[in-house]
Amino acid sequence: MLTVRELESGYGEMQVLWGVNLDVREKSITTVLGPNGAGKSTTLKTIFGILKPWSGTVEYIGENVTNMPPHKKVELGITLVPEGRHLFPNMTVEDNLIMGAYLKRAEDRLEDSLDLVYTLFPRLKEREKQKAGTLSGGEQQMLAIARALMTSPNLILMDEPSQGLAPKLVKEVFETVLKLKEEGLTILLVEQNVFASLEISDYAYVLHEGKIAFGGSVDEVRESEEIKKAYLGV
Amino acid sequence: MKSYSPLITLLLAYLIMIAIGQSIPGMWQPVMLVIFYIAIGQALNVFLGMTGYVNFGYVALLGVGAYGMGVALGYYNELGLIPTLILGFILAAILALLVSAIVGGIALRLRGAYFAIATIGVNEGIKYLIMGAKIWGGSEGIVLSGILRKSFGAETMRFLSTTFADAGVIVVAIATGVVTAYILNSRLGYALIALREDEEAAKVMGINVTKYKQIAFMISCVLAGLIGATAWTLKLTYVFPQDVFAINYTVEAIVIVMLGGAGTLLGPLVGGLIYALLKYYLAIAFPGLQLLILAPLLIVVILLFPEGVVGYIAKKARGTRLENFVR
Repeated sequence: MLTVRELESGYGEMQVLWGVNLDVREKSITTVLGPNGAGKSTTLKTIFGILKPWSGTVEYIGENVTNMPPHKKVELGITLVPEGRHLFPNMTVEDNLIMGAYLKRAEDRLEDSLDLVYTLFPRLKEREKQKAGTLSGGEQQMLAIARALMTSPNLILMDEPSQGLAPKLVKEVFETVLKLKEEGLTILLVEQNVFASLEISDYAYVLHEGKIAFGGSVDEVRESEEIKKAYLGV
Repeated sequence: MKSYSPLITLLLAYLIMIAIGQSIPGMWQPVMLVIFYIAIGQALNVFLGMTGYVNFGYVALLGVGAYGMGVALGYYNELGLIPTLILGFILAAILALLVSAIVGGIALRLRGAYFAIATIGVNEGIKYLIMGAKIWGGSEGIVLSGILRKSFGAETMRFLSTTFADAGVIVVAIATGVVTAYILNSRLGYALIALREDEEAAKVMGINVTKYKQIAFMISCVLAGLIGATAWTLKLTYVFPQDVFAINYTVEAIVIVMLGGAGTLLGPLVGGLIYALLKYYLAIAFPGLQLLILAPLLIVVILLFPEGVVGYIAKKARGTRLENFVR
């Protein structure tokens, strides 16, 4: 579904990605693992277009989307759950969700999307009229994912959804990610939490100093002791 | 959320102000001062209030608008009165559009405070360009009273600089309010609110943030240009570069927007009323000391109402019957 080839990018003069290759298959969960500073978030930002790729290609269902700006990608059905959630804290849960369905294409499906989101996250339904800023960390992460769903995407890029959450909540978040896959969505996840994310993933890549050091099915990654020792620190 | 009823409050306020100005002797001048300040606040609010970006070059747009009208009346008055005035408004709008397209196209690539820094000096830049390159009279500006008297007669000139200019300012002020109400209720408004609250979030929702910022910026600037054309050129019958690019108008407009409530429809109305009346009467009561008193007073109000007076009232009015009329 998503094919990334020789992707290079960075910030200003500093190059962070040195030729990233990865494939995301339809209706799968693919995880990119790696230590701090490996370029995980940079990879997602570059794929989504918040950062301009320096070179390389990004293909989405056979279409070259390398230099497409983020808002066009959302039209195509790609969205990003940004690191740090980026909710509208002074708006209610409901308004956050409605804002998420900003695009015409998404607005047409507003009712269906709301139904889906409230079925997936019954807690958000309970807190519908509450301000997003007053939710707990876990609920905020749920809302961030829910708002991304409101754009009626096919592919969701997630930047460290477990960040800053208690272990119990981490489990909950990953369970929802799994539910999204069951709904037919494709997910590209970037994570530091190795165990929890491998638990739900189908494929995994290990990013090391801006390059893919290893990639394959989850079992392959799990079994490769060397990889674990060298890059994951487990 | 969709509602035009706050517009009723706004129009009512203008009606009351005009009635007071017309019926009480000596009140017309302060009323027009108030309306001028409301107008510049309202036009700035379209950009500052809706996007959260501060445009420190704001007065430059009033200035080029003033020049647009000045050039039409000064150089093309043989067209006849009405065509010249129409040309003046068109020129004012085009010049403002041009400047905002260039400034926005470059500076809006920067985010937040960096945009504000980039716009500092836009007014000075244009001022020195006009003075240095001796464009449109250079530092001598355009003095219209003689030209207007010769071309259209003293009677018409007096009408233009009094009744017509005041009516023009009022019309532009009201139009600016209507545009604000429209934006608040439109998809453009939702996009702007989203990007004001969180630009990153707006992007992942599929909003073309650069485009919407640029649109808001250009609307705000064109409205400012029209205010400059009416409130300055028509009313004062001269355009001096030192006057129409003076930074204090930018600062005053920012104060009015913040005081009244950024991003609200009625904010600039309330902010403009408080600010202009204080300024006017403090200058009479304590000549020379008005700024000394005004500044701490503004600090106190902004500390007490960080979301502006209207923002505060709207919060209090939520759930009551007044809710629909305050925004």
